[in-house]
Order: sequence, then C-alpha cells, then structure tokens
Amino acid sequence: MILEHDVLVIGAGLAGLRAAIESRRAGVDVAVLSKVYPVRSHTNAAQGGINAALSEGDSWESHAFDTIKGSDYLGDQDAIEVLCSEAPNDIIELENMGVVFNRDEEGRLGSRAFGGASYARTYFVADITGQALLHVGYDQALKHDITIYSEWFATDLLMEDGACRGCVAIEMRTGEVHVVRAKAVILAAGGAGRAYEPSTNALICTGDGMALAYHVGAPLMDMEMVQYHPTTLPSNGALLTEGARGEGAYLLNSEGERFMQRYAPNMMELASRDVVSRSEQTEINEGRGLNGCVLLDCRHLGEQVIKAKLRQILELAHDFANIDLMKEPVPIRPGYHYIMGGIKTDIQGRTAVEGLYAVGETACVSVHGGNRLGANSLLELVTFGRRSGAAAAEYSKTAKHSRYGEERATEEERKIAALMDVAQAPSPAGNGHSEMAGPLRLEMGRAMHNNVGVYRTEEGLQTALANVLTLKQRFRNVGLQDKGKVWNTNLIQALELGNMLEVAEAICRGALLRKESRGAHYRLDYPKRDDENWLKHTLVYYNGEDEPRFDTLPVTITRWAPQERKY
Amino acid sequence: MLSREFTLSEAEGKHLAGRQPKETMNVNLNVKRYDPDERSPRYQTYTIDVPEAATVLDALIEVRETKDETLALRCSCRSSICGSCAMRINGRARLACKTKAIDMAPAGEPITVEPAGNMPVLKDLIVDFEVFWDKIKAIKPWLQTEGPPPEREYIVPNEAMLNLNTTVACIMCGACVSDCLSLEADPNFLGPAALAKAYRYVGDPRDAHKEERLRELCGAGGIWDCTHCFNCVEVCPKEVAPMDWIIELRREAEVAGNINYNGVRHSKVFAESVKESAWLDEGRLALDSFGDIGGKLAMVPVGLRAIMKGKMPKTGPFHYKRPGAEHVHRLFEELEHKDLKGIKLDTLDAE
Amino acid sequence: MQYAFYPGCVSKGGAPELYQSTMAVAGKLGLELPELFEASCNGAGVLSERNPELADTLNARTLGMAEELGLPLMNICSTCHGVLSQSNARLKKDPAYLARVNEHLKPEGVQYKGTTEVKHMLWVLVEDLGLDKIKQLVVKPLGNLSAAPFYGCYIVRPTWVLGYDEKPQRQHYLEDLIGALGAHSVEYQGFNKCCGFPVLTMNRENALKMTGTHVYDAQTRGADCMVTPCPLCHLNLDGQQTDAAGVVNQQLNLPVLHLPQLVGLAFGIPAKELGLNKNIVGTRRLVEKALG
Repeated sequence: MILEHDVLVIGAGLAGLRAAIESRRAGVDVAVLSKVYPVRSHTNAAQGGINAALSEGDSWESHAFDTIKGSDYLGDQDAIEVLCSEAPNDIIELENMGVVFNRDEEGRLGSRAFGGASYARTYFVADITGQALLHVGYDQALKHDITIYSEWFATDLLMEDGACRGCVAIEMRTGEVHVVRAKAVILAAGGAGRAYEPSTNALICTGDGMALAYHVGAPLMDMEMVQYHPTTLPSNGALLTEGARGEGAYLLNSEGERFMQRYAPNMMELASRDVVSRSEQTEINEGRGLNGCVLLDCRHLGEQVIKAKLRQILELAHDFANIDLMKEPVPIRPGYHYIMGGIKTDIQGRTAVEGLYAVGETACVSVHGGNRLGANSLLELVTFGRRSGAAAAEYSKTAKHSRYGEERATEEERKIAALMDVAQAPSPAGNGHSEMAGPLRLEMGRAMHNNVGVYRTEEGLQTALANVLTLKQRFRNVGLQDKGKVWNTNLIQALELGNMLEVAEAICRGALLRKESRGAHYRLDYPKRDDENWLKHTLVYYNGEDEPRFDTLPVTITRWAPQERKY
Repeated sequence: MLSREFTLSEAEGKHLAGRQPKETMNVNLNVKRYDPDERSPRYQTYTIDVPEAATVLDALIEVRETKDETLALRCSCRSSICGSCAMRINGRARLACKTKAIDMAPAGEPITVEPAGNMPVLKDLIVDFEVFWDKIKAIKPWLQTEGPPPEREYIVPNEAMLNLNTTVACIMCGACVSDCLSLEADPNFLGPAALAKAYRYVGDPRDAHKEERLRELCGAGGIWDCTHCFNCVEVCPKEVAPMDWIIELRREAEVAGNINYNGVRHSKVFAESVKESAWLDEGRLALDSFGDIGGKLAMVPVGLRAIMKGKMPKTGPFHYKRPGAEHVHRLFEELEHKDLKGIKLDTLDAE
Repeated sequence: MQYAFYPGCVSKGGAPELYQSTMAVAGKLGLELPELFEASCNGAGVLSERNPELADTLNARTLGMAEELGLPLMNICSTCHGVLSQSNARLKKDPAYLARVNEHLKPEGVQYKGTTEVKHMLWVLVEDLGLDKIKQLVVKPLGNLSAAPFYGCYIVRPTWVLGYDEKPQRQHYLEDLIGALGAHSVEYQGFNKCCGFPVLTMNRENALKMTGTHVYDAQTRGADCMVTPCPLCHLNLDGQQTDAAGVVNQQLNLPVLHLPQLVGLAFGIPAKELGLNKNIVGTRRLVEKALG
C-alpha cells in the first residue's frame, strides 16, 4: 500500500503524541506510526513527575540554572531557557487536558522535591506520572481523531533531493511492507537502553529513531552521555522512582551509613543522578555494598505516604525483590536508564536533514547536556513535542511529496527476503554457522555495561568499541528461524539489533572522543572537567562502511557561565 | 532443584546480607501455538533453565531467544506497567512479567501458557486488540470540558484526584477483558476495561458531560450487562477492580435519573421487599423487575413450572413477614438516605 | 456439631427442596442447626450495590445473632456465603466502621463483635466433618453417576475474601465431595463460571446463554447431572433450562441437583424426602441410575 500524509510521526510515546496533536491543531493531516500500541510506549515507565516553575516562590530562571548545573554545563542554554520558560504553560495545558495531578490543600497543583532541584517543582500523579500523562496523550489523540498505524515497524526513511519524505514500514500483523509518503517526518522513537545489559528500559527501546536518522546523514550528538539511574532492582533492572528519595528515603551502605553525606553534603540523596550513581558505585567498589548493591530505606516514610504516593514501587519491590519496603530496606544498584545524547536538533526540533525532525529521548536539543535531572524528560517530551509538531506542520504546508511508489516497498521486501535467506539459525544442539539475534544482543549489552558505564578508561572504551565492531560483523550472519510473514517478531528483533549496534558504536566513539569527565561521562584517565577544551558537543556522522566522521560544536551559553559543580 | 518448602507466596528468602547468587531452576512450559498458515492450534512443550526468581515472561523470552525464535508474544517493559504481556497462564489471565514461574509450578509441573481469551488469536500468544481499542474509543475517553478554560489549573480537591487514581492505574492490558464472563456470552458487551475507563471521566469533576455519558452507558452492551462474577476484580494486575466501578456507574446513573431500566427496577423492588418483610418475595421480584409486558410474560411459564412441580412453600402462596421484620424495617428507614452513595472505607466519610 | 443455620431466602421460597434435603442430610450427619429465624436477606449483592452500609448492617445483625449463640454460621447458598463473607471482611477490617454499624443495631439489642465464622455447608462437610466421615455414611456409593460440579461465582471469587490463599484446597471441594460419594466428577469448562442469574432481569438472553452453554458443556462431556451449592444458580440451570436450550439452540436435558440432594442420595435417603420430585428437569431416571 502507498499512504500519504502531510506529517508523519514515528513513535507514539508522549513526545510523538504531543507533536501529532500540535500538527493537527495547525490544520495539517498528520499520522502516527508506532511499533507498539501507543499506551505500551516506554513513557509509561516514568514514575516520578514533571518539572515546572509554577509556584509563587519559584522562577523559571531557577529551574533553568538547576538544569544547566545538572547538565554539567553541557546543555545548550538557549534550549534550556525555552524548556523552562515554557514549562509552566505546558503543565497547565496538561492539567486542562485532564491529567489527574496531585493537589495541595487548596485544590491547586501540588509539587514535590526531586533530584538536583533547588525548589520543589515536580508535579506528579502518585508514582505513575508517565503512565498518567501517556494515557491522556492517547486520549487526546483519539479526541483529535489522529490516524495511528499501530504495530508498524519503520525500516527506512524515504529521501528525495536531500530531504526526508516519509518512510517504508512493515505492518507486523500481515508482514506487508508499505510506503508512507509524508512531507515532513518527526522521529520520536525513544531511547536505546537495550544496547546495555542490565537496563531499566523496555525491550522496545532499541534506538530505531536514532539509527534511521543516522543513516540518512543526521549526526548523533553527545552519545557518550548515558545516565545510570541510582535506584534499580538487581533482579530485572526495574526502576524505583527518584520520588522515593524526593519523599525523604535514605541511601545506606552495608554499614548502615547515609554515605551521600561524604559525596554531596548539601543535597544528599537528591544530588544529580550521575553524582549519586558514582557515589553508590564507589561504595560498592570499595567493599561497602551488599552483593553489588546498596540499600534504599523507605521505612521511616510511613504507611500513608508510601501507599498514597509510592504505591508502584511498593508493588515492584514486592513482586521483583520479595521485599515489603515498609518494613525493610531494598537492595538497589545503578543501572542504565537514559541517554542524554541523540539526534542533534535545534529548538524547533529540526535535524540537519531537511524535512526531518526529532524529539524526545531520540533527540538531543540539548537540554540535558551531560546529565538529565529527574522529571525533566517528561517535560522535554511535552514542550519540544509541541514545538516540533508546530514546526513540522508549518514546513509541510510549503513542501512537496516525493515520487516514491510501490517499487520502493518491493525493494524493501527484497532486503527482508535476503535477511531470511541467511542460513537458518542453529538450534543449540546443532552446529550451523549463523548467529542468533538474542545472544548477540546480550553480548553487546554486557560489553557496553562493563566498559561504557559509570566509570570509563581508554582501554575499556577501546575494548568495548572493538567488541561492538566485531558484533557488527557477526550481525551480517544472523539467521532467522521464523520465516513467516504474519507477526514475525524474530525479524523485528534482528532489525532492532542492527539499530542498536549502530547506536552502541556511536556511544563508544563519543566516549573515546571526549577526553574529559563531565556529567555522566567519567573517565578515570581524564577525571577532571575541561571547560577550556571541551565545552563542546561531540558529533558522530554515519559514513557507510568506513569509520564514522567526527566533529564538535561549541555549547551555546546565554547567561550562565560555567562554574564548579557541587551538591 | 526446587525446595519443596516453597509456599505460594514466598518464593525467595528475605535475606539481605550474604545472599547467594541466583540458583537456576528448570521450568516446563506448555504453550498453545497458532500459525495462521496451519488450520488449527496445537500445544508445544519447552523445558528451560532460568533463575529461581524468574517470571513466566523471563522463561518465554529465554525460549524465544535461545530455542525457538518463532514463538511470538507481545512484551516490553518487564515490570507490569506497559500492559503488553497479558495472557492466560494456568487457565487464568495474568501479566506474564508479574507471574513468578515457581508460583505457577511449585513442584516443577508444566505451566500452561495460552493467549488471552475473548479476542481472536493472530499468532501464538498474540491476540487481536482492535475490538478492545474500539470499545475504549466508544466511551469517548477524553476530558469534555465546557466553556473557556480557567486561567491556570482547574481547582479540584485532592480527594477527587485520588478517587480517580484507581481507574487511572489501568494499563489497558486486557486481562479483565480476557476473562470477562459476560463478554464470553455476548461480544457486544463493552467490557470491564472500557467501563472502568468510562468511570475515569464520569468521576472527573472537570468533565462537563457526565449526564450524557451516564445515559449512554445505560444503553445496550453497557453497565447493565455486567453479571458481576468478580473475574475482572480477581485478575486485574493493578487492583483496578473494574466491577466496583461498573457498580459505581450504576449508582450514579440512577442518581442522574436513568431509572427506566430493569436493573434499576430490580434493585428497587429487591430493597422494598426486604424492607417490608426482611426477605425476598420471589414472585413479585420476578414480575416487577421487568418494565415491559414481554419480559413479565416470559417469566410466567417459569413460575408455572415451579408451581406444577410442587414448589409451593409450606406456608402457602402468600408472602409473609419474618419475625423481627420490624427491626429490619427500622434499619432501612435509618439508612436509606445513604442509598446510591457508595462507600469509601479508607477515608471513612461521615456521610 | 452445631451451627447457627442461615437458610437464606430461596430455600424457603422457590427452592423448598433445598431446605428439605438439607434437613434430611443434617439428620444423618448429626448436625444440630438452630435456625436464625429472625435473620434477614443478606442482599445477594444487589443491596450491597445499592447501599453498602445498609447491607453490611443487616449482615452484621445476622452475624451478631450467630455470635450470640456462640456458633459458626452455616449457609446453603453460594451467594449468601459470598455476600456474608464480604460483609464480614469489611466489618472485621475496620473497627470504626464496625462501631458505627453497631450503633444502628443497638435499639434491637443486637451487637456484632466480629468473631463469627461463615461456612457454606460444602465447607462444613469437607473441612469440619471430613471426607472420611462422609464416606462412612455413604450407604449407596454413586458409582454409576457422573456429576458435573457447578460452584457459583460467589463461593469462588474474590479469593482473598474466601480464604483461598490460606486454603487453596477449597478450590476443589465439590469435586472431592463428589468423589467421596463414589461418583465420578466431570471435568468441563463451566465449572467455576457464571450461570448468568445476576443479569436475568437486565439481559435475559445473555443470562440464558451462559446457563445453556455450561449445561450443554457438562452434558456433552457425559454428565448424568449437575450439582450446585447455589440455589440461585439452580433457578437458572434447572428452573430455566428449557428456555436456555432455546437460546443456545441445543437439546438440553440434564438434571441439576442441590448439593444436599446428591449427598442424600448417597446416604440412602429416599428421593421423595430429598424433594427430588420438585426439580424442574426430571430426576426419576437419574435416581434410577444412581440406585440401580
């Protein structure tokens, strides 16, 4: 089939849905394409809340400064000014759309404290803020009668005359390949957490958006900036919200000490995530951990608070760690959580490729720089979702469709058939010579976690890069057991693996490039922040079979001169 | 190697210090497969080694990644928030990621894994969710306000937001729909998920279309088709208890004046019968619950059959008051003002 | 053994054969059943929907009456059992609520302290008396019979109110009992599903569809009869089987016994005494097969 829309949004998380709603409001024909039903998107895992300087005693400048400091001065200050100054209106709009935010005694929006914030400016819905926002986003998309192609997997972007004009996608239900023509494309396909193992991320977070943009010439920026979340469960990597620490929970080592007082005496458990993760890792490395973990202690918060505001983590700790966190501290450790880097965009969501926009975790505006503050990511989705939706819609009004037709779908089908042709993956008992996607991903994930995690060295990074490059070679030999058309999850898994390998390589490259420590990127061989040489973004450009091309870009500074970053 | 001392709710010891790294255990899965190219479904067994604390989803993913890549299932977050992995495990709808393998098979017996019910199977454990979403759309799941928006936020008490937290917690996994017994009999029923979602907006003080919503929800396939079998309450992984909200919708619908329904008549006649006599006058109930002559007439043969078989009570054909009925009457008088007001035990409202 | 006996409404109205057979079986078992004559209807879930506090108050009154006798309460209806158990759980969980409810009951002089245990006769038979005792009393093992158990929603859900977490074996008491009586228990899909009685007045077609489906299911798997501990289910499965047959478009002719009727047959109690002549779907051939 050939379909046509003015704007195509790839990804139906909150960023994609908000962008689509805005494009719709601008009067254009917009469709959303997603490999899962919208409410399955990973936005729903965000627990803690969404930031905005809404209170009387607060100011968006304060929010901006906290964000800039949190970013370790790598965030572009013009983008951060936009984020923080527009946040209050965006939150109000969300409330007007029906989000059931927590209220204070007067019935107004009620906030709580969060990591790295000098003021309690995080607005929330119990500990399911992401889910609550995502579902309202979906409700609004239904209200606006936006076309949604659910369970379609985009395999490639359509390019004509240097501009992006849509995509080809597999309809998973039938296995049919369709051409979706659009005058503008917004990539909102989320992060790439499955390139790491363990990870808090869902299985669908495979860097598809980043890989799609990368392949058509849009650079990936600051990819080395990946965030390890301080409180993840060891059994399955599941996240326990920062909101727990926001409500007053403690972090303890094996000696029962609130060790954060040695690392961040002012903010303690609510220092920025990279600082907390490194502190935890140091405690663990120096022998004051418990089986590779430290402890999150919520007991003193009391039953009422936990049941009203932290119900989900109570459930998670019970289900996946067999612990009643009202009675016992729960073992946690830092785990891969988020990537600050992504497809470079400007503050309208434009990438370097005409007609191609990006927003959300897929993109790097950059508002998070070297480290993201909790509750700023949900905000980014809404604020920049709105802006990129408006920008793409506006652009589409004067752009033209491409001439791609059915033959493009046929071409894609041939590529898929070629994948199927690789010799069938061996069963564990046999000894064929093709590879299986699952085990390859695991190898990649472990290599990334071991060497491109909380602490990095030149040697470790080179090892990781070498591993990834070898895996890329081995990937050519991935065979599929499932040769069917209908719901071939095996095929999708393999395509996702290809995307993840590109992203993993970009992360390693960025980490090797940046010879300093800043934010989440901490190199034991370059332990200091080097503003003189490195107040810049790293850029990685796809270069086909050859080594990627690199570049740097100075950080945009408006009014906040870089300072020493202490919590 | 499973310890025989495991009970259903304590699969892992709670030792914090010095805990041993995960032991592995052997899990047997009996999975219902369906390939659209074959004519009928079949069962396939897998045996897999997973850590002690593994969930059924962990086991399925392990199978898919190392043994049989053709096994198709939906899954994503692995932490019971995305709703993708609802399926029938040992005969009952559950989230695979929230179901410990050892709880399903304490003695190592095979775990039956089947696709969710009440929805057509597309492949293996993947079912067609389109009708599910159609029913969600049918109840207009978005805030319908009236007049210009306020300057900032709508002012609403926190209790009103907390009241919605239960239905907002729904992750649209479809477990309730899978096992709904009314849906099994009648696919036209809107179903527990759509109705719980309907409450989420009916109960939102900012929504201006409550009356209209309630009126529509009383129609065919709506709130009066729930047979309150508790299945949805039992299987919901998020404790949404959809049935409770369907009942709340019924109360609100009656308060809003939607009384020309057999369900309302039945409820009123029931209450009157108990108020007057302390127990049920079945004959009266059978007739007066129906608003239309056709309904009443349909019950006549049922009654006649009963009489012909000698089901006349010893005390004769006329309904009588039980001893102590006056006390029951008094209780009704005292508490009738709380009719249709529901109950909120945790906050213990005065009225 | 003594129990405060709560017969409910239907056994004294549209299903007198249930009351009759209960008394006959109780006699054989040596059960003393002082009846709570002044207890009211528990609301069958309908009153709880309309006015939860009123329903809980009426049920607290009933539970208080049993408490005064110092006896556990025995009922003979899945719905009564479920509703009373749910009320009991709410009252026990919240002392302030219980106190408020007791205020309403004061003028009558009834109070409920929260100690009454609610037990369906099925549980009394299997848990308190025990299957061995039952087997001893079996005079005519029902080896010729295949019986399909039909529980009734209110005695199987919600599990946390009915003690299934502590006693998961309750899930198969009916099958166990059928086995102890010498009969073969039929496995079929509808055993713990809904008969549709609660939607009878709102959507009779759906109700009869559920009834017809489960009866047909049991019938095609070779059941000679169904047995149910719920007289409301019985009103559908037996009382409206003819109508249900029309809705599911199948020939249905499956006798449906109340729990004590099946038990009584095995105990050698004559069919007439068990009120088997009052069941709508004829039981004569069934009795012949059982005793033959």
